[in-house]
Amino acid sequence: MEAVSIRLDRISKSFQHRVKGLVSAVSDVSLQIEPGEFLTLLGPSGCGKTTTLRMIAGFERPDQGRIYIGDEDVTDLMANQRNIGFVFQNYALFPHLSVYENVAYGLRVKGMEKAEIDKAVSEVLALVGLRGYERQFPHQLSGGEQQRVALARAVVIQPRVLLFDEPLSNLDAKLRVHMRGEIRRLQQALSITAVYVTHDQEEAMAISDRIAVMNAGKIMQTGRAEDLYLRPESTFVAQFIGKINILEAEVKGVKEGGLLLNLLGRDFQVASGHGSWKKGERLKVFVRPESWEIEEKREAEAFSGEILEKTFLGEKVDYLLKIDGQTISASVYDPFRHGTFTPGQKVGVKVQGQAIQVLRD
Amino acid sequence: MPVSSVTANPSDRFRRVLRDPPLLISLLALWLLLGLFILFPLIKLLLRTFEEGGRFTLANVAAILADPNQRQALWNSLLLGTLVGGFGTALGFLFAFTAVRANLSKGWTAFLDGAIILPLISPPFTTAIAMIFSFGPRGLITHDLLGVKGFTVYGLHSTLFSETITYFPIAYLTLKAILAGIDPNVEDMAFSLGSSRWRVFRTVTLPLAVPGLANAFLLLFAASLADFATPLILAGNSFPVLPTQAYLQITGLFDLKGGAVLSFVLLIPAFVVFLLQRFWVSRKYYVTITGKAGAATEIKSVPPWARHLLLGVCFAISAFILYFYVLLFYASIVRAFGADFSLTAKHYGVVFTEGLKAIRDTLIIAGVGMPIGGIYSILLGYLVTKKVFPSRQAMEIVSMVNYSLPGTIVGIAYLLAFNDPPLVLTGTAIIIIACYVFRYGPTGIRTTVAILQQIDPSIEEASSSLGAGSGTTFRRITLPLILPAFFAGLGVVFIRSMTAISATIFLISINWTLITVRILEKMTELELGVAAAFSVLVVVIVFAVILAISFFLRLFRQPGGPEMANILGG
Repeated sequence: MEAVSIRLDRISKSFQHRVKGLVSAVSDVSLQIEPGEFLTLLGPSGCGKTTTLRMIAGFERPDQGRIYIGDEDVTDLMANQRNIGFVFQNYALFPHLSVYENVAYGLRVKGMEKAEIDKAVSEVLALVGLRGYERQFPHQLSGGEQQRVALARAVVIQPRVLLFDEPLSNLDAKLRVHMRGEIRRLQQALSITAVYVTHDQEEAMAISDRIAVMNAGKIMQTGRAEDLYLRPESTFVAQFIGKINILEAEVKGVKEGGLLLNLLGRDFQVASGHGSWKKGERLKVFVRPESWEIEEKREAEAFSGEILEKTFLGEKVDYLLKIDGQTISASVYDPFRHGTFTPGQKVGVKVQGQAIQVLRD
Repeated sequence: MPVSSVTANPSDRFRRVLRDPPLLISLLALWLLLGLFILFPLIKLLLRTFEEGGRFTLANVAAILADPNQRQALWNSLLLGTLVGGFGTALGFLFAFTAVRANLSKGWTAFLDGAIILPLISPPFTTAIAMIFSFGPRGLITHDLLGVKGFTVYGLHSTLFSETITYFPIAYLTLKAILAGIDPNVEDMAFSLGSSRWRVFRTVTLPLAVPGLANAFLLLFAASLADFATPLILAGNSFPVLPTQAYLQITGLFDLKGGAVLSFVLLIPAFVVFLLQRFWVSRKYYVTITGKAGAATEIKSVPPWARHLLLGVCFAISAFILYFYVLLFYASIVRAFGADFSLTAKHYGVVFTEGLKAIRDTLIIAGVGMPIGGIYSILLGYLVTKKVFPSRQAMEIVSMVNYSLPGTIVGIAYLLAFNDPPLVLTGTAIIIIACYVFRYGPTGIRTTVAILQQIDPSIEEASSSLGAGSGTTFRRITLPLILPAFFAGLGVVFIRSMTAISATIFLISINWTLITVRILEKMTELELGVAAAFSVLVVVIVFAVILAISFFLRLFRQPGGPEMANILGG
């Protein structure tokens, strides 16, 4: 089947909350998802990502705006008329039906022939690695197996789009990593357009073609994981994708496409980002913890710092350290190569100009 | 995340209903039935009580309250209810605590459960009859065993004893659920903080069970207040209570108005209990605080000597209950209990000749009421949980009214409502069936609601996302999931049709009579052997039906489906 696009055109949705009254869950969201693309809606809880997904599915109707799947305006269609595959956070398997009957359900509803159903079900169960589980019931399966049944049930009807609502949040950490790989492979094998909701940035970065970061009912930024990490357009995105140190700097000079900044008493040549700045202005920049380099012997151009706290995590070591009266966090990877430092130790700290990013807001 | 859709304004809800014809028709039909069989009789009762020549008057109520005899009956009813509530709750807690905390083996648990379920499925007189066989003028214990002379079985003491034995299983079931719901980790925690066993019980276990105790007390108080059969047989002349007074007023003195006013007086405490349960106790329940239930640890809160004491008391009481039933059976197969102990089948002969009509009538009424009750329960339960419509909460409350009221009130209200045009049903089977369906349907309704609330909305959404319309989703997903509630609903209607008497004693006629009424008649005619034989028959039939229903429940067992014992407890 040909993959289709999804287009959200300025959709909004409000809910009646028992305590807070009318709250806006999604406001004026527009989004274009390309055919065959895997797009993730990422954000903290309550940001409107699930509501957005449920509107695409047809479980909620937007108060305003239109939703298109392919060229078709589906805003007024019920969920059962949209031909979508939905994977729920709690799997929502039918507890009274066997694995076979769960998967066959959508095909029976369509009125498919018995022989065809048999064939389709056994194919899709093979695809998710559950052949032989036909007669089991949901409560006899492990969390990972239930997840696969939910996946099989969603794809067997050959939906136009696949929608995932935090499908991995009930699994343990190892299985989560494994399943996200399987979901990605399945989506690519079927070359189907997919929208995925999660609050886990690592999961989002691992699984998606593109990520839309949401906050307070709005999309803050849409882009590839790399773009969001390297060139966040807002403090919120910078903070949500990875960690940052926010520092104050002074503009010493303006050049074409770049700024000369004074940060913690040293000058750095940085990209200006957006906006225009004047000499002498003060602005905010961010540096990610992994951008700092810590050395035992301080070179001339390095800051002099003191280690305050150390957290050893194996692949990396997190430090809290003090430079010029400011507390910053730093992460040093590969302790074999860089060694570790102890609290109280005086160290040299370096950072490259490219790693300093000007914050817009 | 999302709480509820913005469909809160009433006119929008109303329009939605209009757009959904099957919903609209179901609602109209249900309201018509609820109005006819619940509200209309109640209004008739109030009119009879407060209207005189087209004017409002308090004279009727004042007249009853001025009569020292009736005042005494009111006082006696409240006293009996309080005592039964207190003793029954204590006994129920003892059994529940033992069952949950004493690490019983499977066989002993089954023995306790069996002894406890017997009073729940018996016709209301059973313990009363056994009391007379045991403690009456020629009773096995008082006369033959102890040789006591001049012991009167009739009065407050026997009524209290009999009602406590009959109703404490309700407290047991309520409290067992509460105690089992207390996370053992909470008690372990108190231990780890250095408390003694007794202190843990006093400061943690008991306070957590308080809402359950209050609820059990109210349930027993209401059951005793409504009980008509036990006092009729055991209370005697010296201890009149309201339900029997109302009954005698109508059947003895043919004073319908007096009966109506008396039952109104009975309605006031019953209504207070209803309000307390609905708006006070239900809010006091402690929700399970932790997300994940603690591991089932070896429960350490009972020291060995206390465990033995608890077990001893429980088994003694269970054995006593079983003794009552053995006695009942024995009395049904001897010529004349207390005088002539030679074996005979003549009592059963009477049951299956002279009593055949009552058996047939009862089975027809129970058999017809059963499916109607089942359908009524799941339909109403489904609508009030899953659909949004105006008057939803009102419908739920009204559906519970006949269940909450003492049977005597319901019976007299039906008698008043359906004796005259526009709807004359007196003397028909319909009036008895309607009484049972609307009085005992609520158990099924509550089971339906409980099951539906456990079904995650995403299950129905999943069906929808797979292309199923709302009709298909209901038929293939929702309906199979609430099937246990259907069986529960029809099971309770059947069982109560076999065993109830307080409401229907006012509704029987020459055309349609009931086994329970025949038992009462045989008691008053002093044909105790026949009464015992009828009782044994009812217990056997009900037991067979329970087995059948349990079988169906197991067949359609869903995770989280109801247990038969819990259904009976409601």
